[in-house]
Amino acid sequence: MKRILQIFLFSGLMLAGLSLNAQSQSDMCINEYLVINTSDFEDDYGQHNGWIELFNSSYGTVNIAGCYLTNDPGNLTKYIIPKGDVLTKIKPRQHILFWADNQPFRGTFHINFKLEDSEEILFVASDGRTIIDRIQIRRDLDSNVSFGRFNDGIGTRDGSEGWQIMSRTSPSTNNTGSDVESASTVFQRIDPFGAIMAFTAMSVVFIALILLYVVFKQIGRYNIYKNRQRTEQVHGKDVAAKEEDVSAEIFAAISAAMHLHNMDSESHDIENTILTIARVTKNYSPWSSKIYTLRETPSKK
Amino acid sequence: MENKGLFSLLVDNLTQFLQYTGFANATWGHILMIAIGLLFIYLAIKKDWEPLLLVPIGFGIIIGNIPLFPGLSVGVYEEGSVLNILYQGVQQGWYPPLIFLGIGAMTDFSALISNPKLLLIGAAAQFGIFGAYAIALLLGFSPAEAGAIGIIGGADGPTAIFLSSRLAPDLMGAIAVSAYSYMALVPVIQPPIMRLLTNRKERLIKMKPPRAVSQTEKKLFPIIGFLMTAFIVPSGLPLLGMLFFGNLLKESGVTRRLAETARGPLIDVITILIGVTVGCSTQADKFLQLKSVYIFGIGALSFVIATATGVLFVKLINTMLKEGSKINPLIGNAGVSAVPDSARVSNNVGLEYDKSNYLLMHAMGPNVAGVIGSAVAAGILLGFLS
Repeated sequence: MKRILQIFLFSGLMLAGLSLNAQSQSDMCINEYLVINTSDFEDDYGQHNGWIELFNSSYGTVNIAGCYLTNDPGNLTKYIIPKGDVLTKIKPRQHILFWADNQPFRGTFHINFKLEDSEEILFVASDGRTIIDRIQIRRDLDSNVSFGRFNDGIGTRDGSEGWQIMSRTSPSTNNTGSDVESASTVFQRIDPFGAIMAFTAMSVVFIALILLYVVFKQIGRYNIYKNRQRTEQVHGKDVAAKEEDVSAEIFAAISAAMHLHNMDSESHDIENTILTIARVTKNYSPWSSKIYTLRETPSKK
Repeated sequence: MENKGLFSLLVDNLTQFLQYTGFANATWGHILMIAIGLLFIYLAIKKDWEPLLLVPIGFGIIIGNIPLFPGLSVGVYEEGSVLNILYQGVQQGWYPPLIFLGIGAMTDFSALISNPKLLLIGAAAQFGIFGAYAIALLLGFSPAEAGAIGIIGGADGPTAIFLSSRLAPDLMGAIAVSAYSYMALVPVIQPPIMRLLTNRKERLIKMKPPRAVSQTEKKLFPIIGFLMTAFIVPSGLPLLGMLFFGNLLKESGVTRRLAETARGPLIDVITILIGVTVGCSTQADKFLQLKSVYIFGIGALSFVIATATGVLFVKLINTMLKEGSKINPLIGNAGVSAVPDSARVSNNVGLEYDKSNYLLMHAMGPNVAGVIGSAVAAGILLGFLS
């Protein structure tokens, strides 16, 4: 029985480990693609080719080595993203671009199919079975016009919601552009004197602590009620009513008195001694000599 | 001829060596900062002002301001140097949560649990943060910088370091030193404000002694407290999580060794590291700026605002409470955190007017509530401004 339990636990841990791996890869998504590239950005070989942009939507680094890109649902392992390339570790909220030029020998980021010949793009986990993301390729896109998510990482898989024909291509960068205001800038604009911040933040602080107050008020009441019930059961109602008036200070005083009493009983004047005629020798050793030990750490009185 | 060559080589080497020394590279800025470091150490040893913080920070300031020839890989801002590696805990913000773990493991929330309305005083004192935020905005700081400066009003060193490392890393040294300095100066800053805002009758209010709190309540507090605050302000998770976790270690009764490590050796080690490295980060060229002067000025004002709002809030609550259950406004100052100094200030000022009115236990309620409140406020600022 114990052995079965161990095996069960081990299997559970293994499964948990696998699911964690899949979960981190599942944070990747297809973010933008360009099918026909005649005059848009060139690849590292100076060629114009279609491309697929993936986006890491998580706040942790995801390694996509061993994952697959394909345009064929019947062959999910068409292009394996090579292992051993440090560039396949995608930083949080960052993009990675694959050139769809059917030239896989040009490097990790050149895949073995073209988008002009494809119906859809699939991104598959390293197990070769789990489809992490897929998108149907639109046929109505003009040359040098890409299709992408309006906001990075947000939108449906079928491209019906959250996707748009991009006004400009944005390979390896944010689809919404870099002109988005930071939270700090927004606050500077809408709240130059800090009044909104003060009001909002203080409200939240108060709400959090008021909730705690309410909960612990009730817990305290319940506790007092239970104590009273217990005392009533043992000593009757009169004693219970009196005990309610006993404060923590009285308990503290009683505890201190008991502590002192215990200490007193330990600090007896007569030591336990043994009378013997045997000679007790204490051989001198510099290691045990108090002369040579360090001085006591100075302390301020 | 050969002798002359040897002599000139010797002179050249000596000249080069002299160029490497601190004497050759010293500026008035370095001397001034070293003097500030010495002042901190003096205040800690002679005046006993927050010695556990001011000694490491003061010595750190001296270490950080030894004039260096750049490129020796020894300075705190030089990547890979020992000081730089230790400074990562400040820069990446992982020292403050560990300090909070220790604080949680040494904090007794009984006063708060027995009288939960004291929690609200801890909330009110957070006005200091947002008052300072507004002043910083007026002085031309960006909202992110203003948020980092404002947290000085939370009177919580680790929280200030945590938030400034996220929102305004360039200002972290000035913010941390300012926060710790004013925490040390709590006994000087707060009493005049407390006296100014209260009358004699209010100062003599005797509060009802706290009821005995059961161990079950103490065990429930960190769990419920964490769940409620973290669900409302998830961005405060590192601080709130560690604070309440540390407290659960203390109160659970079954993890005594862990609690003792958290509130003893662990917090001591982190305090040493945080103090020295924060001190080191105040290099003259980065620290001696007009911004730092502003930060110190705003920091002082934030403490004043926090103390005043805490006291005034108690007076406001008292208008709604019946006779006999009123709160002494002298514990309002304790809402600023600065555990346990501000609670001691409440107690001492109270004793000045009535030798039998011990407010320490009552003041510990808003005091620890202030720790929770400032962590929540830091989470909000981080959520809004990062």
